[in-house]
Amino acid sequence: MINWTSLRLQVPMLRRCLSTLTKSEARKKRNELFDSEAKRQRAAVGRIEKIEVKYSGPSDEITLVMNKHLSTPFDCAKHISEGVTKVAALAEVNGTPWDMHRPFNSECEIKFVTMASPESQVVNKAFWRSCSLMMGAVAETAFKDSISIHLHSFPIPNVRSGSFLHDISLGFEDWKPTVAELQSLSALYIKLSQKNLPIERLVVGESIALEMFQDNPYKSEQIPNIARHSEDSVTLYRIGDHIDVSKGPMIGNTGIIGRCTVASVHKLSTDEYGTLYRFQGVALPAGILLNHFAYGILEERARKLNNSVWVPSKIVEDSEDQIAAVAN
Amino acid sequence: MNQANISNLVSKLNIYVRPKARRLKNPAGPEGRLLKLRKTVTALIKYERLELNFNRGEEARGYAERLISEALRHGPAHHETMKLADFWILEKQYVHKLFKVLVPRYENFTSSYTKMYNAPRLYPGMYYKKSVLELKGNVYPSLHQEYSQKRNLLHNVLLDEARKEFRLKKYDEIVDNFKQTRM
Repeated sequence: MINWTSLRLQVPMLRRCLSTLTKSEARKKRNELFDSEAKRQRAAVGRIEKIEVKYSGPSDEITLVMNKHLSTPFDCAKHISEGVTKVAALAEVNGTPWDMHRPFNSECEIKFVTMASPESQVVNKAFWRSCSLMMGAVAETAFKDSISIHLHSFPIPNVRSGSFLHDISLGFEDWKPTVAELQSLSALYIKLSQKNLPIERLVVGESIALEMFQDNPYKSEQIPNIARHSEDSVTLYRIGDHIDVSKGPMIGNTGIIGRCTVASVHKLSTDEYGTLYRFQGVALPAGILLNHFAYGILEERARKLNNSVWVPSKIVEDSEDQIAAVAN
Repeated sequence: MNQANISNLVSKLNIYVRPKARRLKNPAGPEGRLLKLRKTVTALIKYERLELNFNRGEEARGYAERLISEALRHGPAHHETMKLADFWILEKQYVHKLFKVLVPRYENFTSSYTKMYNAPRLYPGMYYKKSVLELKGNVYPSLHQEYSQKRNLLHNVLLDEARKEFRLKKYDEIVDNFKQTRM
């Protein structure tokens, strides 16, 4: 259990994010904005144009006639087979990684990438990024409404670092989660992944994004920056009713995540943002079976503070130097 | 010592043969066991892929291998081989298949003629180990699941890095020990 008396609210934090909305109200408002914007974009397509999409699978090649600016790789997968809709994590449209729920812009060739056939690390990175996104969703729902929790950000996914991250401000100074608390966070994580929710994508203008994240001081600072680098647009992702900003791409469905653990929460003290908590976890795709000893090693590694700078090539060199030193 | 070379008497099979045969419990005794196995061997030649309980599958596999290898060695003109084929194959049209289809197929094989896979058990249900027994070179899609991108699989990437980190830690320990002994 959390010892509530030891948790003190941070005064500067409170002042910065005075908002009239409670957490759930803010979430509801965000979703309403997301829905209305999606509806507006759907209506703005106007007259529906048909495009040819060539699918090349392992055994056959199919040409599908789809709708421009409306149909997504997920729709193509539904035409092919139910199995493909379940396992396809990412699509490759003319060779570039493409979200499963992102509409096509033009005629194209399409391929599906699953977690069992990662031709490159792109799909693994998308998986790791989606795991970070989900960590935010879990953390936001795990705490009571009275706690002012604000998601800060998650860094570029680095699978080799051993854990996925999400930096979150919780509004109290010293919190060290007990084992039971971490386990209950993990349980929430698993529950969310088992809902098989689609990870929706929407590109919105800067103003709408700012309106959505009005109550989040970090996001409202980051959004103008992001918009400046990507032609005044911000890419949003939604799982269930959780919305976050990310460049993407993400995997198509939360059901692709199989085994997962919220491994640790580390306190980060930054000058700029005050106290942030780094939530770390490790997950494996569904369908990959790993014995619990090996998974235990991964969990153990995910527990260490992840500085998200992990250069394995350098470390190999170092270790060789050390061998040389020993040999001398 | 004029002892016959055993490999000239019995075909050498490219599968593991258990030292003792399974008895495959049957109310009709050993005769019933043989009938069971004859049915399986016939079905294997007929359908080329079967899903069986593991015990029965593995037991029948040996007999099927032996039958095919005898047919390969001696051909249809050999009286004893024909008698053997007549015994093991219950539906007689498949005797033709054995000599006309399977023998040409396996002529240049250097490995076993059949393949066995472990199949998942029924859960919940009878807790018998299941298997799939098939003739090689059949027309069905392959059961073998290939992971050509093994090194890119997420858990392999994670485990690789964990191993690197562990090795690094060990090297540090070695260096420390070395330094201490030098002092």
